Amino acid sequence: MGALAHYLEAEGIPTTQISLIREHTEIIRPPRALWVPFMLGRPLGVPGDSAFQHRVLLAALKLFDFDKGPVLVDFPEDAPDNAPNTDGSSLADLACPVNFSTPDREKTDAEKVLTAFAHEMAEIRSWYDLELEKRGYSTVVSFSPDAAIKLLSDFVLGNPVQLPKNLASPATALRIAAQDLKAIYFEAVMARPDFSMTDPSEFANWFWHKTAAGNVLRLVKEMCLSSNDQQLRMTGEMFLVPLDQA
Amino acid sequence: MARLEEMPEPMRSHLATLPCPTFNAKPWAKGPTLDQRRVAIISTAGLHRRNDRPFEGMAGDYRVISGDCTAKDLVMTHISTNFDRTGFQQDWNIAFPLDRLRELAAEGVVGSVANYHYSFMGATPPEEMESAARRLAALLKGDSVDAVLLVPV
Repeated sequence: MGALAHYLEAEGIPTTQISLIREHTEIIRPPRALWVPFMLGRPLGVPGDSAFQHRVLLAALKLFDFDKGPVLVDFPEDAPDNAPNTDGSSLADLACPVNFSTPDREKTDAEKVLTAFAHEMAEIRSWYDLELEKRGYSTVVSFSPDAAIKLLSDFVLGNPVQLPKNLASPATALRIAAQDLKAIYFEAVMARPDFSMTDPSEFANWFWHKTAAGNVLRLVKEMCLSSNDQQLRMTGEMFLVPLDQA
Repeated sequence: MARLEEMPEPMRSHLATLPCPTFNAKPWAKGPTLDQRRVAIISTAGLHRRNDRPFEGMAGDYRVISGDCTAKDLVMTHISTNFDRTGFQQDWNIAFPLDRLRELAAEGVVGSVANYHYSFMGATPPEEMESAARRLAALLKGDSVDAVLLVPV
């Protein structure tokens, strides 16, 4: 980010920027930067709080008032931190446990996980569809719930995977399907009448440790890591399961 | 929460050891007062219009986002899975504050909002983005932009 500021400014375009990692900005020294103490992914601080976002944006733009630089200013407010339930247990009723006992004993473990995933998605998608209807859009990029189930299940079972026409490789398709799956689950959670989540780690902990969908993505990761395809191995290593949930 | 020393491992070590470019130059472009400036947003969140090409890798390419874009038009295909996306899923302004910028223009705090905004994929090595960024400067001048807000993710 700071490097872009150097390149643009050298071409005569004045820049200001938000900084999420102060230590990086101290090294790169872009002309104008506002460091904010917010989590990665939330440079404006608080979703749905336009007054808070307004203050962050204005503080960044006010750096144009300085006569010389580089300027690195700290934003004085923390984002409100409400973490009433960080283990995801309030969402547990949406997750579908994997049944490793009868009558599924003739299935492989992977098949049992996929069966639980399909059941779970059947419940999730009612809420997802409601949210889609209410908002009129979804942040899902390429994969509907059915398409995500098909691609991920085919990959786990070793079947040939069919790629959407705008995605060039299985590695990219799996990465975007994984992102879309998380978006489907989160947008389903947003539709619930008890939605009040302000700490995103609650959703992440629930998704990665309580849901069959999380188990499926871990299976996909393991299969990618053992693939002969270098892109798939890199995707498995870095782009499917977050470092803090591995 | 984004204070490096407060981050849990292994994210803290991962970010602390990421190589950062250094620059000897201290470029400083001048412009009019804020209420006269025309502002464009450049994001590194891997954002693009819904029908545009997803980001595939770290080639330094960017996507154009038209100024009349709304929340339903914009999606995110950044390769990293190590940052929160639930904020963006609730409110696009958390990563791409175009509504807020429009409000500041309507209030007269900034002069105007650019016709075009841009997004890179932020995990890209800076040197891969340099050529595109320098070419982007000409496009920004063509849009009379004299203030760029760079927003990471």
